[in-house]
Amino acid sequence: MSVGFKAVQWNREKYIYDAILLAGVTLYVVAFIAISHRIEPPKDLPEAIDVRIRAFGTCAFFMLTIILSIGPLARLNPWFRKLLFNRRHFGVLTFIIALLHAWFMIEWYEAQGSLPSLLTELTKWSDYGKFIGFPFKVIGFAALLILFLLAATSHDFWLSFLSPPVWKWLHMALYVAYGLVVLHVALGIMQYDSNPLIPIMLAASFALVAVLHVVAGWRERGMDRGTPTGGDGWIAAGAPGAIPDKGAVIVVAPGGERIAVFRDGTEIGALTNLCSHQNGPLGEGRIIDGCITCPWHGWQYRLSDGCAPPPFTEKLATYPVRIRNGVVEVDPRPLPPGTPATIHLPAP
Amino acid sequence: MRRAHRNAHRMLWPALAVLVGLALAMSLVMRAPPPAAPPPPAAEGQR
Ligand code: FES
Repeated sequence: MSVGFKAVQWNREKYIYDAILLAGVTLYVVAFIAISHRIEPPKDLPEAIDVRIRAFGTCAFFMLTIILSIGPLARLNPWFRKLLFNRRHFGVLTFIIALLHAWFMIEWYEAQGSLPSLLTELTKWSDYGKFIGFPFKVIGFAALLILFLLAATSHDFWLSFLSPPVWKWLHMALYVAYGLVVLHVALGIMQYDSNPLIPIMLAASFALVAVLHVVAGWRERGMDRGTPTGGDGWIAAGAPGAIPDKGAVIVVAPGGERIAVFRDGTEIGALTNLCSHQNGPLGEGRIIDGCITCPWHGWQYRLSDGCAPPPFTEKLATYPVRIRNGVVEVDPRPLPPGTPATIHLPAP
Repeated sequence: MRRAHRNAHRMLWPALAVLVGLALAMSLVMRAPPPAAPPPPAAEGQR
């Protein structure tokens, strides 16, 4: 994983994820264009390009809405965790779709021989003082620039160059990009197209993202207060059967750090919830091919000692576990990274 | 995600959401009404 930046290994799940993603995007764009042409056949080239602008624009908007919904959804319902995996490719593809949207917009001006009027539109300084009438294309360009920055720095070289915490701060700019895209649509097409579907789609998508974040955040706030501990400081993680096989439950140490308690058949072990790649939530991952697999980009660690399998060298902090009165308990004092600390349940 | 990120996320998200939500509501309120339907053609006798 730290060898030559080949951090993200390809596996069958990733191929399937990418294939579904590409098929979904192609289907959406083709269906949008076909239906639009059927409802109102374009009379000339600019009208045909306009349909493409809308197809790619709405596609990018929905993709961004989905990307921002996956995080809270995965926290609210474990089923959605599988969507976290490979979200990076989802983001890069969103940038490409948004770029095509911008490209067709430029082509639209070119098809009419009015490219200079785009420049006039963007440099009409008096419009910058207006709310309705603000040059909404500038807002779109700003969002595209952020998406470009995020896509360009999504490679592990940048993660290593910037360090995981800085990288994570930078990638939070996705929220700013989404806000800009909402405004781009609200001050753009929504103002000069009276189709009621546009405000409905815009407000519903924005509300969905906002509500999901509020609900997931509210739930996690309770979690951050900490998991009740027994008298000796060990934290209860529940009965062994309550830990999903090849999955985990997350408990919180008194200091607020999260600990993932995994079960692989009869083996139980606890590790830090932070993946050493980008601090992804390991406890939301699964055990694949005998290794704990991070839900974000698939880095793997052995449950037995928190070490990445050879030739990789990453090591995670592990925690002592025990079973008392039929309940799995975790000592919240971490062991040095790479220390074997799992226990085995007695055979049934 | 580390705690600091989680906390920043929790503060950044609602602030952004309120700002964008307000702007979205304003742009909806200030949206031009749909064009009025054209009046029915005048009857011959009314000319
Ligand atoms: S693999 Fe990227 S954060 Fe874990």
